[in-house]
Amino acid sequence: MTLPPATTAKASDTRSAKARRARAPSRTELAVPNRIEEVERVSDLLDEFGAKHGLAKDDLTDMQVALDEAFANIVNSAYSDGDPHEIHICLAVGRGTLRAVIEDDGMPFDPLAVAAPDLSLPLHERPVGGLGIHFIKSLMSDVKYKRIGDRNRLTLTKLLSE
Amino acid sequence: MARLDLHEESVDGVAILGVRGRVDTTTAPQFGARLTEIFQDGSRGLVLDLHELEYISSAGFRELLLAARRADKVARRLILCSIPGKVQQIFDIGGFVDLFSIAASRDEALNAAR
Repeated sequence: MTLPPATTAKASDTRSAKARRARAPSRTELAVPNRIEEVERVSDLLDEFGAKHGLAKDDLTDMQVALDEAFANIVNSAYSDGDPHEIHICLAVGRGTLRAVIEDDGMPFDPLAVAAPDLSLPLHERPVGGLGIHFIKSLMSDVKYKRIGDRNRLTLTKLLSE
Repeated sequence: MARLDLHEESVDGVAILGVRGRVDTTTAPQFGARLTEIFQDGSRGLVLDLHELEYISSAGFRELLLAARRADKVARRLILCSIPGKVQQIFDIGGFVDLFSIAASRDEALNAAR
């Protein structure tokens, strides 16, 4: 491990948090296998990225939940061949937004086409599934889906609070 | 730090499960298994103390729904308490507020569960 010269460390101490954030790379990427436990790595990546950019905890929580839902949907429903696949995640921050782009090569699936769940049903009639997409749509400021060739691309955008 | 930490205690025969961290796709099975275990013991009611819950995704709500149904079936009280603001928002979005018994504080929950 190489330590920065003392003068550099001192200079960076006087920089504002804003300047430090501006120096952090504005995007990061990760490719993980389509296994449910890999969602932890996605979640850790978002934690690190959010900390580097000084993002508000509530904004990060909304994105954590949305990513959890999106990733679980892909792992549980996108593939029927039993073969290993790779899910690609890109996080980006800029212009007051946090964005996550999730790409998979599974079956075409447009989450925006899924009907909203009936939230008025009583306890014993409530389906135990089908809420994930509702959470994604509600927690994000914008959700876009595109089928590109043999890939699904889901773009989740969260407008950052001040 | 573990993603999910479950801490159990008993007060006057009421089981209290403290839920700290994240109940998501990977930790929900652990959460559900513990709820099932607790319902198998002899406690009268169960209080879920959520004040250290960071967030819960639909995988976690699935376990909560199943637990609430189980509680109903065996006539046991299941009370959720001390839900943080951010988590409350997720409960609202999911339409869960009327589905569960929710108390503002742990004391209030304990009184209701006895």
